[in-house]
Amino acid sequence: MSTPFLSFDGVIAGYGGGDVLKGVNFGVESGGVTSIVGPNGCGKSTLLKTVSGLLKPRLGSITFKGESLVGKTPKAILQMGIVQVPQNHSLFREMTVRQNVELGAFLIKNKAVVAARYEKVCELFPVVSERAADRAGALSGGQQRLVEFARCLMLEPELVLLDEPSMGLDPKTLRAMFATIKTMNAEGRTVLLVEQNARQALKMSHQGIVLENGVVRLSGSGIDVLNNPEIAALYLGGSITHH
Amino acid sequence: MTFSNLVHAVIDGVLTGSVYALMATGLTLIFGVMDIINVAQGVFVILGSYLSYALSVHFGIDPFVGLLITMPTMFLVGIVVERAFIARLKGPEKTAMSILVTYAVSLVIEGALNMIFSTNPVQINNASYVNSSVHLFGMWLPFIYIYGFILASVLLGSLYFLLYRTRFGASVRASLADQTAAALVGIDVKKVSTICFGIGIAVTAAGGMIYGTTNAFNASSSYDLISRLLTIIVLGGMGSLAGALVAGVSMIILEDIVAVAWSPVWSNITFFILLVIVLSFRPQGLFGKQSARVA
Repeated sequence: MSTPFLSFDGVIAGYGGGDVLKGVNFGVESGGVTSIVGPNGCGKSTLLKTVSGLLKPRLGSITFKGESLVGKTPKAILQMGIVQVPQNHSLFREMTVRQNVELGAFLIKNKAVVAARYEKVCELFPVVSERAADRAGALSGGQQRLVEFARCLMLEPELVLLDEPSMGLDPKTLRAMFATIKTMNAEGRTVLLVEQNARQALKMSHQGIVLENGVVRLSGSGIDVLNNPEIAALYLGGSITHH
Repeated sequence: MTFSNLVHAVIDGVLTGSVYALMATGLTLIFGVMDIINVAQGVFVILGSYLSYALSVHFGIDPFVGLLITMPTMFLVGIVVERAFIARLKGPEKTAMSILVTYAVSLVIEGALNMIFSTNPVQINNASYVNSSVHLFGMWLPFIYIYGFILASVLLGSLYFLLYRTRFGASVRASLADQTAAALVGIDVKKVSTICFGIGIAVTAAGGMIYGTTNAFNASSSYDLISRLLTIIVLGGMGSLAGALVAGVSMIILEDIVAVAWSPVWSNITFFILLVIVLSFRPQGLFGKQSARVA
C-alpha cells in the first residue's frame, strides 16, 4: 500500500477549553483538488490551521508523504512544500505588490531564484506585474486574492491550502478565482480547498469531504458528494444538482 | 514671545525631542510587533543612564564610547526579559497582562537600582562636552544636546535602514502588519519578537546616556519618562515608527514654546491637552491605523 499524500488520523483540535475537531479521519490523494464543505463552525478552517502549523492538534496524527506534521512550526511545514492562503486578506497592506509577492519566497535566500520565480508568477498573474509598485492595500478584494495566490506559489509548493478564497468576491471575480485554482492544479499542485461556496467547489473537485460538528460526515468524489440527496438538502440549498 | 525665543524652542525641541523619539521608537516597535505595552521602558532608560554613569564615573570611560558596552548589554537584558517573562504571555489578555508583567519588572529593577546607587540623584557630568556650549543661531547650545541629536539621528537612521533595507527588516514589517500572514510565509515571528524586544531595549542605553548627561536622575525618574514615552507613542499612533518621531519632537517643541510664551508650570500639561484633542478626532493617533490591533 502506497503512503498517502496527506492523511488525517483521529485529529482532535480546538481553542481554549473546547474541541472544534473531534476526531477527523481522511486522506488526500496527490495531484487533485479536494474540497472540504460544511456548515459554519464545523471546523473547516481549524482543520487547515492544523496542517499549516498555526494550530497544534491535541490528539491524532497528520502526515504529509509519510512524515508527521504535528508539532512542526509553520516555517518547517512551508519547507516541506505546504503553503496556506488564509481566510482573511493577508497581504501586507503597506508594502507594494512586488514586495508582498517576493515575501512569498522569504525562505529562499538566492536572489536569482527569487527573481526567476517572480517572473514566472507574473506570467500566471498579470495583476502582479501591472500593479507591482502599488501599495497592496490599494487593490480590490479580488486583486488582493490573486496576489495572495501569486505569493503562495513563490515557493513552488506541492500542496496548497486555500481557506475560503471566494469570500467577499463578486461573481465575475469568483469565476476567475476558481479558474485560477484549476490552473494551479493543472500545473501539478495538490489543492485542499475550504469553501462556503460548496456547489462550485465540489463541481471542480476530485474529492469532496463534508465536515459536520468536527467529524467527517461524508467523503467521496466531488460529484458524488454534490449529488448526495441528504447533503444537498443540508448544505447545498436543498436541491440536487444534475449535470 | 520673541521670534528668537520661538527659534530657540524649535531648535531645542528638535535636539531633545529626537532623543525622546529614539526611546519611544523602542517602545512602539515592541508594541507594534508583539502587542506588548512595555511600561518598564522608563526604568530601562534609567538603567541605561546608570550603566553609563558607572562606566563614566568609576572607570573613566567616555559616555559615548561606553555605548559600545551599554547598548549590547541592554540588548541582552531585553532578550533575557523577553524570554523569561514576555514570551510566556499568550491569549487574548496578552496585552493587558503585559502591562502588569512589565510593571513588575520595572519595580524589581527600580528596587535594585535604589539599593545599588541609593535614591540620591546623580548626573553624568565628567565629560568636557557636558558643561560646555557653542554659539549657534544666535544662542548658546550645549554640546551634549548637539551630540545627543547626532547620536539619535544616526541610531534612528540605522534603525530605518535595518527595517526598510534588509531581509530582517522585511520580516519585522511583515510581523508588524499581520503576525499570522508573516508566519505563513515562513517568518519566525517568535524570533523576530525576541530580537525586536532586544532592539527596543538597546536604544534605551543611548537614550539613557543622553538623559543622564542632561538631567540629574535617580530610579524614580523612570515614572516621568514612561508617562512621556507612552504619551508620545499614543499621540504618534501605537506601533508607528514615524509617529514616534513626529510626536517626540513635537512634544518638546510644544513644551518649550508654552514654557517661554506662557509659563513653565503649564508646559508639561500642554502636551497632554494636545493628546486629548488629537485623540478626540483621531483615536488611532497621528499615524496609527484605524482598526489596528483590534483583532
